[in-house]
Amino acid sequence: MAAPTAATGTRVPPEQIGYLVAGPGRAAETALARLLDAGLVRVSRDGLVSAVHQTELGVSTAVETLILINLRRPARFDAVVRNAAKSTEMRTLHQQLRARRLTRDPRPRLAAWWVFLAIGVVLSLTAFLKPWTLLGAVGFLGAAYWTFGAKPLTRSGRTALKGVTASDRVLAVALEGFRGKVDRQQNVGDLFGLSQSVVKMLPRKRKKPVRRGGGGASDASCGGGCGSSSCGSSGSSCSSGSSSCGGGSSCGGGGGD
Amino acid sequence: MAGIKDLGVGIGWRSEIDLTVERLPGVDFVEVVAENLHIGHLPESVTLLLERGVPVLPHAVSLSLGGADEVDLHRVEHLGAVAEAVGAPMVSDHVCFVRAGGLDSGHLMPVPRTKDALDVLVANVKLAQRNLPVPLALENVAALLEWPDGELSEGQFLAELVERTDCWLLVDVANLYANARNIGTDPERFLDEIPLERLAYVHVAGGEQHGDIYHDTHAHAVLPEVLDVLDELCSRVAPPGVLLERDDNYPSDTEIASELAAIRAVVDKHRG
Ligand SMILES: [Fe+2]
Repeated sequence: MAAPTAATGTRVPPEQIGYLVAGPGRAAETALARLLDAGLVRVSRDGLVSAVHQTELGVSTAVETLILINLRRPARFDAVVRNAAKSTEMRTLHQQLRARRLTRDPRPRLAAWWVFLAIGVVLSLTAFLKPWTLLGAVGFLGAAYWTFGAKPLTRSGRTALKGVTASDRVLAVALEGFRGKVDRQQNVGDLFGLSQSVVKMLPRKRKKPVRRGGGGASDASCGGGCGSSSCGSSGSSCSSGSSSCGGGSSCGGGGGD
Repeated sequence: MAGIKDLGVGIGWRSEIDLTVERLPGVDFVEVVAENLHIGHLPESVTLLLERGVPVLPHAVSLSLGGADEVDLHRVEHLGAVAEAVGAPMVSDHVCFVRAGGLDSGHLMPVPRTKDALDVLVANVKLAQRNLPVPLALENVAALLEWPDGELSEGQFLAELVERTDCWLLVDVANLYANARNIGTDPERFLDEIPLERLAYVHVAGGEQHGDIYHDTHAHAVLPEVLDVLDELCSRVAPPGVLLERDDNYPSDTEIASELAAIRAVVDKHRG
């Protein structure tokens, strides 16, 4: 893929696409990508990001504004992404996406969810002979549904992502992250002239969910939390999350996997 | 001096804009702040520029050659080592002092223009020259004050310095402009008095007027008035090189390129 600059007219803005695909870390990467694309920041060979001095800010989102304000002094590439991912502005973005029902709080899947299901099924069958067990069946089936967990992305969220492709370099970051590839061979970082040593400052997306105490939504494959709250505690995993959040199965079920 | 002819138009290499410097059209040479470089670990960007054949000139800010304190030979050695590491034909610092009585001013302080101060400066410059592998050029600084009892004009002071040490001159036209604005010196008289045949190259930089004071910030656009001083200089001599200094608030690549183009236009106007 060539290095087209950002196209306009995308239904969901790239930063929000980044959030829906892989959480606040990816949204922060996308905001930084947009600033780079617009020539509002520059990155040095050793990964120092600095604001390009100009009279007008030229930003389009609150997260972009925050990044530029924080760049009064140059900062490391990974720190820029991490700080933006942990920001109040990013939490506001998350709330906006929730208000539009594009995302929701993920519910962790319990390892024993199927036990509730099995009991519920047995009680349902028993209800043919002893109707009073129906009440128990409903309760257990409800518990099974609840403990099965929920992905952070809603049906509307998945619909919003349908048909979104890496048609420009900002969208390439939203979908794949700076460390990702488009067309299976082109490094996304290359589209911005960023060396691999710079993009590798960002944490690598993890292939497998990581067990953590209390697990649940802190599953690392969410890229530091598909919801905003886990970002603060999960530190570096905020950035460059896996795209499995968008439609994958691992999100929201990490704790018991 | 071998290798100093026709440097062309250059820019101060700074790590924040390394990629910009690499891709800007029309960068014939660069200057690096010697104190920011580590021998044996040159920045990748500087190495790349050297591989492309772009001359890299070390510029020092800490030798304090105008000071009464003993010259710190470690600093001189470092400057020389940087020059050898980048294969530079010359190095430079300023006609100033930055330390006195164990205190570091953090600024390039002007030297009193007295015969005594000149003697001290000459001795320090000669000591530095003996310990440097390449010729030394010295730059005029911007001053917000003039020491009392000055016996020489700035041009006379530098002319005598050149005569006694055989050093080269690095003329900063933005500093000439700043001094004209702030302490009423005359850039044309300065250019009349210095030995222009000893001109190594020229600095151009931006600044900003704050009330009555012009601040030589190196963080703002180059004023047309500064280019006028360059124009005046070029009408007298073809400078071997002219370099844009920008140290902060880096503008877009396009804006930097247009500043370089404006400098080149002034230089080329007199080459016709
Ligand atoms: Fe200068």
